[in-house]
Amino acid sequence: MTSWFDHTINGLIIGNIYGLLAVGLALIFGVSRLINFAHGSVYVVGAYVGWVAVSVLHTPFPVTLALVVILAALLGIAIERFGIRPLAGAPRIAPLLATIGLSFVLDQTVQILFSPDPRSVPMQLPNWRLEIGGGSIGMLDLLIGGIGITAAGALFAFLKLTKWGWAVRATALDRDAARVVGVDVDQVNRIVFAIAAALGGVGGVLVGMYYNVITPTMGFEATLKGIVAEVVGGVGNVPGAIVGSLLLGIIESYGVALLGTSYRNLFAFLLLIAILVLRPNGLFASRHQLPPEPMTGTFIAPSKPIGLPVPLLAALAAFAIALPLLIDNGYLIQTLTNAWLYALLGLSLTLVAGTSGQVSLGHAALLAIGGYTSALLAADYGFPVWLTIIAGGLMAAGLGTLLVSPAFRLRGHYVSIATLGIGEIVALVILNWESVTHGPIGVAGIPPLEFFGRPLYDTNAIYWVAFAIMLALALLQVRLLSSHLGRTMRAVRDDDVAARSFGISLNRYKGLAFAFGGFVAGISGAFTAHMYSFINHETFNTHISVLALTIAILGGMGNVGGAILGAVALIGLPEVFRIAAEYRILLYGIALLLLVRFRPQGLLGTV
Amino acid sequence: MTQTPPILELRDVDTFYGPVQAHFGLSLRVERGEIVCLLGGNASGKSTTMKIILGLVKPTAGDVLIDGVSVLGLSTPRIVRLGVGTVPEARRLFGAMSVRENLLMGAFTRNDKAAVAADLERVLALFPRVAERIGQQAGTLSGGEQQMVAMARALMARPRIIIMDEPTMGLSPLWVDRVLSLIRDINGEGVSIFMVEQNANLALQIADRGYVLQTGRVVIEAAAADLLVDTRIRDAYLGGAEAA
Ligand SMILES: Nc1ncnc2c1ncn2[C@@H]1O[C@H](COP(=O)(O)OP(=O)(O)OP(=O)(O)O)[C@@H](O)[C@H]1O
Ligand SMILES: [Mg+2]
Repeated sequence: MTSWFDHTINGLIIGNIYGLLAVGLALIFGVSRLINFAHGSVYVVGAYVGWVAVSVLHTPFPVTLALVVILAALLGIAIERFGIRPLAGAPRIAPLLATIGLSFVLDQTVQILFSPDPRSVPMQLPNWRLEIGGGSIGMLDLLIGGIGITAAGALFAFLKLTKWGWAVRATALDRDAARVVGVDVDQVNRIVFAIAAALGGVGGVLVGMYYNVITPTMGFEATLKGIVAEVVGGVGNVPGAIVGSLLLGIIESYGVALLGTSYRNLFAFLLLIAILVLRPNGLFASRHQLPPEPMTGTFIAPSKPIGLPVPLLAALAAFAIALPLLIDNGYLIQTLTNAWLYALLGLSLTLVAGTSGQVSLGHAALLAIGGYTSALLAADYGFPVWLTIIAGGLMAAGLGTLLVSPAFRLRGHYVSIATLGIGEIVALVILNWESVTHGPIGVAGIPPLEFFGRPLYDTNAIYWVAFAIMLALALLQVRLLSSHLGRTMRAVRDDDVAARSFGISLNRYKGLAFAFGGFVAGISGAFTAHMYSFINHETFNTHISVLALTIAILGGMGNVGGAILGAVALIGLPEVFRIAAEYRILLYGIALLLLVRFRPQGLLGTV
Repeated sequence: MTQTPPILELRDVDTFYGPVQAHFGLSLRVERGEIVCLLGGNASGKSTTMKIILGLVKPTAGDVLIDGVSVLGLSTPRIVRLGVGTVPEARRLFGAMSVRENLLMGAFTRNDKAAVAADLERVLALFPRVAERIGQQAGTLSGGEQQMVAMARALMARPRIIIMDEPTMGLSPLWVDRVLSLIRDINGEGVSIFMVEQNANLALQIADRGYVLQTGRVVIEAAAADLLVDTRIRDAYLGGAEAA
């Protein structure tokens, strides 16, 4: 039996590591008003640099630490220079998307270099423990605590006592005023990214030693935890981030003690949503404190959409229908079927993020809701599949809208963070609610698709049904966009303050967008479940949410034809060229980065 | 007539914000030791002129010269290092930092610690009101006090010219007088002043020359004394023009 003392120590240690991440996020937010999703990737790089140092170079601990600090700081500087600075004039959401692209690129590069297998970082300390009462503190605990306190002390000394520390604070308070007193704000950004990355990298090594295991995919979760801690403490508030981290660590540790390890993240994300909804300025914001600069600005690059003539579109559709008869290539047909299903997801997201401006980062959760609803109703309760697929769509529409409704009052970045958190919560509920969802083993033996009672096994038939559903919903969405409803959604996106002053109820229109989008995505998820015959809590993961966003941006935000084109390009092309899975994610990351930088209006233009 | 080039000169500047043109062939200059006043109604392009001088916005045509040397290619911090101090529109203090920290941030470009400390004493002597509030958070000062801190902060860089955007905005008549007489004192120490003002009558009383800007064009350039007497011209362009 581990004692509460041990849980508290454990929580504080984990909190310390979150703190190393959250402080960096807060610093970066302070000077650039940016939530850096690549932050966890720096932590991964730090962990692997540490692994190389210890296991290959056999460096002693202080040298290991120094190497990590230096290389991570250099990486931070590179991220700032090549990922963020070129986007200085773009809408605020643009650098956020760029950091997501960067995180894909960095994580996958690490994975390609070091393989996806977990590795252990040997601890370089004597395994000595101090017994206190019913519990104990180990050498490593003390070391992590010591590094955390030292880092915090050094940071505060830097901010309070040095000239560039003052410049960092001044820039965070008023960027233009800092410039006119002669502060080089690019230099400030560089310094801040270097410090943040160095701290994050140190966090990575320490976590490797603490859990004795590192993987290339651990960065995303680390980013999320850092963000949670930062939001708890108040976005951009450095001392707040430290307190938020310790709080998060302790809450998680107690939660795990009460309910088990698989609940760890659920606590974190529930805390995130609670704070976002109840105290979006963080726990410590005083009444008088101004909210951090409203993070508005949709990712809608003004552009004239390219209008494709109707005869051309009809010809393309006819070609798509005739295709299975023209060529005898089952693999290609399957790939395109997949593309139509992703096109549905793209349609859903282009409506929610493009037309109504709510950049959702948790869209895969809608697939999961639709997929699980349909799969469970058909497999466990024997309902006919055509009915369960519709039920899947309706459930995704209803439950999805209900779940995000608390986030309707948020704007800009906060919407993205909230939807991300809600998406994670859905996945965690699926994982933990075993009596209904079968938990970690997933749902196997899902009945096949059927067409008026006849099971569908034929590749071509599945292709046609998928295409027909996609086409029907796409046409419906086109109708919707040209109606009064579509215009109002765009008005809400472009200027919510003005829209509200005209008496438009923002919540209703955001709700309608999520409901329609949820239905479309739910159908896609349900169809996918029956096509695969097996799903689990990882089938619809965050990578898919980001892929959906890349599809929508590639086609042109809000653009129906663009979503379809984007899906064909991003799903079809890598498949046709047989690009291996790990390179595919790298490719998606690069595509996102390049799009945000060079063609934010996408291929067909925004609507 | 002086042979040295003007400390500040704009030549035929055109400025655009996207499709909107804010300056049309704007030319003006400030000689050493002068107080020059830029007058104009709302949206006539006054603040944009300040941003052009500081390099915060780059013109599409024309040139900006300091001491006869073009600064178009320079970043804002580099321009500041040439001796250009600023009192921005609406003061823009670092609200969560103390008054002392704000003043020392004003000396950010300087590395001569001892001289900065001496200048801090000197500036505080000039602004006794600021000295009383030295430890207070700048954001909690009154508007007039903040204006004083903004001027003191600009002085801390030992500028040769200070550009001020509406230094009397939102101040009571008593504080307007105080601010204007301080500007004259600063000028008396050899610092050139280029100020934007809507309070034309008062500003012209301390200025040497004035320009009147209308929708991005200089429509009148004259000695301050002449502008002061010629109420007809002034009223036509300032205030009067907006009603028309
Ligand atoms: N960042 C910007 N983007 C687009 N247009 C701008 C921007 N800043 C200024 N403008 C436009 O340029 C013109 C001149 O603006 P400026 O701020 O220079 O006027 P001003 O003379 O300082 O006015 P005021 O007396 O109201 O301060 C205005 O039409 C304004 O709308
Ligand atoms: Mg102005």
